[in-house]
Amino acid sequence: MNYTLQFGQVIDRLPYLAGGAWLSLLLATLAFFGGMIIGVFGAMAKLFGGRILAGIANIYVVFFTNTPALVQVYFLYFALPSFGIILPPFEAVLIGLTLNSGAYLTEIQRAGFLSIHRNEVEAAETIGLSQMQSVWYVIVPHIVRTLYPSLSNQYILITLGTSMAAIFGVEELTGRALSLNAETFRSIEIFVITAGLYIAITLVANVLLVFLGRYYFRARMRLF
Amino acid sequence: MDFLGIENLKARYGEHVVLNDISMTVEKGEIVSLIGPSGSGKSSLLRALVGLLPVESGEVRLNGEIINYRDKQAVKRLRDRLAIVFQQYNLFQNMDVLRNVMLAPMKVKGWPREECEREATALLEKVGLGAKLHVYPDQLSGGQQQRVALARALALRPEILLLDEVTSALDPELVNEVLDSIRLLASEGMTMIIVSHEMAFVREVSSRVSMMAAGSIVEIGTPDEIFQNPKHERARDFVGKILHR
Repeated sequence: MNYTLQFGQVIDRLPYLAGGAWLSLLLATLAFFGGMIIGVFGAMAKLFGGRILAGIANIYVVFFTNTPALVQVYFLYFALPSFGIILPPFEAVLIGLTLNSGAYLTEIQRAGFLSIHRNEVEAAETIGLSQMQSVWYVIVPHIVRTLYPSLSNQYILITLGTSMAAIFGVEELTGRALSLNAETFRSIEIFVITAGLYIAITLVANVLLVFLGRYYFRARMRLF
Repeated sequence: MDFLGIENLKARYGEHVVLNDISMTVEKGEIVSLIGPSGSGKSSLLRALVGLLPVESGEVRLNGEIINYRDKQAVKRLRDRLAIVFQQYNLFQNMDVLRNVMLAPMKVKGWPREECEREATALLEKVGLGAKLHVYPDQLSGGQQQRVALARALALRPEILLLDEVTSALDPELVNEVLDSIRLLASEGMTMIIVSHEMAFVREVSSRVSMMAAGSIVEIGTPDEIFQNPKHERARDFVGKILHR
């Protein structure tokens, strides 16, 4: 193979790629927090919702965890217009990823509710804390602490999943890498740098999450 | 007048009667121990007293005042007069030792932070953990955790301390450090009701011992009466078994 690596052309466009990386992070963060909210309701429906609500939550989880996220977004983007709902690419991907992560986060949060220590709650009760106080001082920190590692994993998976937005023409990191590739044909350089940028954003997010988790929630977690 | 009076207390889990007509009294400064085989209702009695186990009938009086367990506010007020320590310590895992002890005085009583911190520190020093204020429960041994639980219970300045098998979950070599803290409280005149399987300890600290079986009190008397000369056959049988192990 006689290919001469030339990073210069790509390095010049680094700010362009970094802008894409920023959009990827934004997409992931919105989808994660949207999914967290869906997850709280999903988990409560599955645990305390009675047969009908639990059934609906169950169908939702089974459907979204057993079909590819890409197919889900395709449906939103290409099938919904037939019903008169036309979503711009960014919104379609955001809604798809949110619904997808909501299904996983439903299961994660359900595990959190189940792991509450009955004993600690009883102790809180016997030292006279009110119900709201036990939830706030004992139950919530416990759930967050227990779930922290799974939550940060999920966040990173969503970040990587945002690359599918490129297919729909969203100018996030992968999308911009594809445009740059069409412009310069410096494929090796472009995708090496793109991969590096993905590693950088997930690594930075991971490090921040681990430190926050260790010091704020005392979650047992390791960097790698 | 009795400090704590229990009259014809009855409680059940479903069909199973766990407390059957319990009557007893505890005077101020007294240490009453509950002994008896597993499932005899010792822990259930303590849980009923703090309102964790619903009572079916009967009456509990604290300092002459009848406690209405159906009134949530009354139960809440009761809980800083009667403090309970459990077998499994049940510390809040997400807080350091000092915060475990300070939480209730600050959030339930609303006492100023500095005062709570000073008092919590003093209590932790008393149970020998003055050097561990900012350590988290999972970094402590069982005996240390149990001593934190004692300090946490004392932080509300309770009038009676209920100890529910506080050494049963501990490794044998850690039992004494917890018993020493209880001895210290006893020497200060703390009123206590103790459920324990440490018979030598029960004999040493108790003013009276109550022998329970199948949800009832079989016999109640001084430690010497119960351990040396039990009148009731069920008590003789139990004491015989534990002394000749």
